[in-house]
Amino acid sequence: MKVDDFRIGMEGREVFWNIPLPAFEILLFALTAVALVIFGYGIYRRWLMWKAMGKPEMRLDDMGRRVKTVLMEFFLQRKVLKDPYPGVMHALIFFGFFVLIFGAAFDAGQHHFTEPIFHWTFLKGNFYLVFSFLMDLFGLFVLVGVVIALDRRFVQKPERLGYRGKMDTTPDDVIVLLLIGAIIVTGFVIEALRIHVTNPPWEHWSFVGWLLAKTFTGVELDTARVLHQISWWVHALLGLGFIAYIPYSRLLHIITTPANAFLESHQPTGYIEPIRDFENAEAFGVGKLEEFTWKQIFDSDACTRCGRCQDGCPAYLTGKPLSPKKMVQDLKTFWLEKAPQAVKAAKAGEAPAEEEGGKALVGEVIDLHELWACTNCMYCMEHCSASIEHVPKIIDMRRYKVLTEADFSPELQLSCRNMENNSNPWGVGAHVRGDWAKELGVKTLAEDPNVEYLFYVGCSGSFDDRGKKISVAFAKILQEAGVSFGILGTEEGCCGDSAMRCGNEYLFQALAQANIDVMNGYGVKKIIAICPHGYNAIKKDYPNFGGKFEVYHHTEIIAKLIAEGKIRLPEALKGKMVYHDSCFLGRYNQIYDAPRQILKSIRGIDVVEMERNLNKSFCCGAGGARMWMEEDIGERINNARTKQAIEAGADTIAVGCPFCLTMMSDGIKDNHKEETMQAWDLAELVVKAMGKEEVKPPVDTCAV
Amino acid sequence: MNIIACVKQVPDTEAQIKVKADGSGIEEGQIKWVMNPYDEFGVEEALKLKEKNGGDVTVISVGPARAMETIRTALAMGADKGVHICDPAFDGADAYVVANALAAVIKTLPHDIIFCGQRAIDDDAGQVGAMLAEALGVPQLTLVTKLEFAGSSVKVIRPIEGAQLSIETALPCVVTAQKGLNEPRYASLPGIMKAKKKPVDVKDAAAIGVATDAKAKVAKTIPPPARPPGKIVCGDDPAQKAAELGRLLREEAKVI
Repeated sequence: MKVDDFRIGMEGREVFWNIPLPAFEILLFALTAVALVIFGYGIYRRWLMWKAMGKPEMRLDDMGRRVKTVLMEFFLQRKVLKDPYPGVMHALIFFGFFVLIFGAAFDAGQHHFTEPIFHWTFLKGNFYLVFSFLMDLFGLFVLVGVVIALDRRFVQKPERLGYRGKMDTTPDDVIVLLLIGAIIVTGFVIEALRIHVTNPPWEHWSFVGWLLAKTFTGVELDTARVLHQISWWVHALLGLGFIAYIPYSRLLHIITTPANAFLESHQPTGYIEPIRDFENAEAFGVGKLEEFTWKQIFDSDACTRCGRCQDGCPAYLTGKPLSPKKMVQDLKTFWLEKAPQAVKAAKAGEAPAEEEGGKALVGEVIDLHELWACTNCMYCMEHCSASIEHVPKIIDMRRYKVLTEADFSPELQLSCRNMENNSNPWGVGAHVRGDWAKELGVKTLAEDPNVEYLFYVGCSGSFDDRGKKISVAFAKILQEAGVSFGILGTEEGCCGDSAMRCGNEYLFQALAQANIDVMNGYGVKKIIAICPHGYNAIKKDYPNFGGKFEVYHHTEIIAKLIAEGKIRLPEALKGKMVYHDSCFLGRYNQIYDAPRQILKSIRGIDVVEMERNLNKSFCCGAGGARMWMEEDIGERINNARTKQAIEAGADTIAVGCPFCLTMMSDGIKDNHKEETMQAWDLAELVVKAMGKEEVKPPVDTCAV
Repeated sequence: MNIIACVKQVPDTEAQIKVKADGSGIEEGQIKWVMNPYDEFGVEEALKLKEKNGGDVTVISVGPARAMETIRTALAMGADKGVHICDPAFDGADAYVVANALAAVIKTLPHDIIFCGQRAIDDDAGQVGAMLAEALGVPQLTLVTKLEFAGSSVKVIRPIEGAQLSIETALPCVVTAQKGLNEPRYASLPGIMKAKKKPVDVKDAAAIGVATDAKAKVAKTIPPPARPPGKIVCGDDPAQKAAELGRLLREEAKVI
């Protein structure tokens, strides 16, 4: 095509206009080859590092789902876009670059393939005009994205891009943004100079270049041609430099993050792989980096330091040293230190040499205060746009401290002993487990095994005075609705969730097995739990040990009974209620609606929401066995959460978890609100609304 | 250094104790058995001494077959070997018989220091340590809350009303452990696994050659007298509750 042929219908442009061919082509191909070699070497080196450390782990089942996940997370940026501001920022750059790469491929395809071979040019006419418009539009998107990113990193400086107020910006972060920006800017300059020189009448479609060309008004055409060539080369070198730079920079996440999405766990949320062999192992859990699986280590290379995890981490936000981002980054740094040695050893076919005086993974790389601060609330994993699995790593390292070293806090040791000796963390005599039900006429399965549901009460509902009231309330609801159910009484044991999440897998399995044997012995099929911890453990972890049950949380059952009209709530209650999402109901099991439906059915109350609700809910502080540990760094998590309820203007905190109930009740006291605020389990509120609450005389004496 | 730790298996402190209808003892069926907590202090101190000074720890228990669990618990904590004195003839044994049985075994073993709990939480007699020292003819240091080892002697702290005594003696000796001596460790899982394979010597009365006739016998076990039920003043109005409490204290309890 001749460049000066500007008739309508001849819209188009000469690819590589003003570039001396074929000398240019040879040079460009040579440079491209160099860039690809540098890129390839970097990936190869990284590949060796990924392979060099960690135990084997296969994540290649269900390929259809894996491919779909990559489509959703990579091509549609699903998780990235869940957080709109940084999400849109990233999407502008991602989609912009993606479309521009296609554009470059179109140019190259026509120039090197369809034109010389088939004498077919497709970048012309209306297609060319739309194509030009889209290229400029998406180029502009990238530029806007880069500007937003620079603004975020250097002006807005959100907490999540740092740690405790100190930004963790590295030179690489700046280089990458400037590199991307420069590629786009030089691209527009090239376009503008070409338009300035050739001046075709349709080029207002390339609106950015067209507008920019106006700034070159008055520039000599020959000068413009020279400038054009210079910027062309700068643009080409930057582009090739970008490719070569990928494996050596944060740009690597273009590969590792989608790969990590591909390798995503298909287990239920919060599932923890059990230790399957106690007899032949020398050490348990993860005390050394190489005791993680390679995938667990690979996770850290997919981290982009976006800080979404940190944004809702209850430990971080209340001043504990733990930040999920920092933990993953510390693991990455440690891996980068150790991996080259491991690669050498692997090449020589040797086991990696034990480093003398090297840093300990648990205690030095990951501080013990970080390790023990995690509440397993699952916020980090739910919101990580790179599919990183933080919580299993924490539990693996806790397993090492508890099982291998038996080095953990005295108060947690006591709780473990209590679970061992009396099958509950409080250490109350196991024989009183069923006593709460004595006066209600609730039968045990030993008395009548022919019931539809087993009501698994759990330790709080059996031993804690406050928790027992939930059990009583829920039993009354079931009785009122005529549901056929029974309890295990003294045959019930601790669910083991706290044992498992503090790393005491051995104890957890003993507790789980004892429950499963009893439940299977009675042929139990359906179970209702009032504690989300037991609910989650029985539902997701018991199947590993032969316990396969249909498990319900009491809020699900109550919501169903209300919907079916089996219980009526004629009494109006008073107050402004806020529902606190328990982590083990919400993020772990996506039970968000049932509790809210229950509140909606109660007359007379206003329902408000906290800012951090649903899947962004803020943990009460009791999960991950934190219930049994002292909390002496920073603000107490339960107090922080209670403050959020106060800010929402609530006078009643409704919960669906006995741990949350304890934490919220304590938080109300610590915030000096006990005169005006209360915390209730939904079952208790429902019993009140049913008008079935025992009305006590103003003064009465009752036997202990 | 040769360290001996004597342990007894007792009901868990939270276990529900039910006296048999005929008064011949307690119902054992539902009971969770654990190591006597004071003995656990002894085992812990034995392990600490071993870790600091080398040597080995032998744990000895007199008790029925189930007492093996308690020996294994001590082995899981880190003791090296066990001796289980197990014979139906020891059912109903008193402190004198137990101390003689322990002494008979200990005499056959090298021993520098012997730990006992200051008493067992089941019968609360607190005699075995003292009798054992007597049977072995060695000094005894009782109710110890701190222990320092100095080659061939030990120096211990024993709290008394308003002061504490610092007591020294040459080895070998018997030390009875009191709460405060240490925090017993939680057994590691490798420890628990290894404990299954550690040697435990099971001996009957004939093997150790001691008399099993108790000098003192428990004639009858009687449940404690039932407590009259307490009362809680319930209600929502603090003023009315206070008035009711006052009335009860005056009219029923007759204390004001």
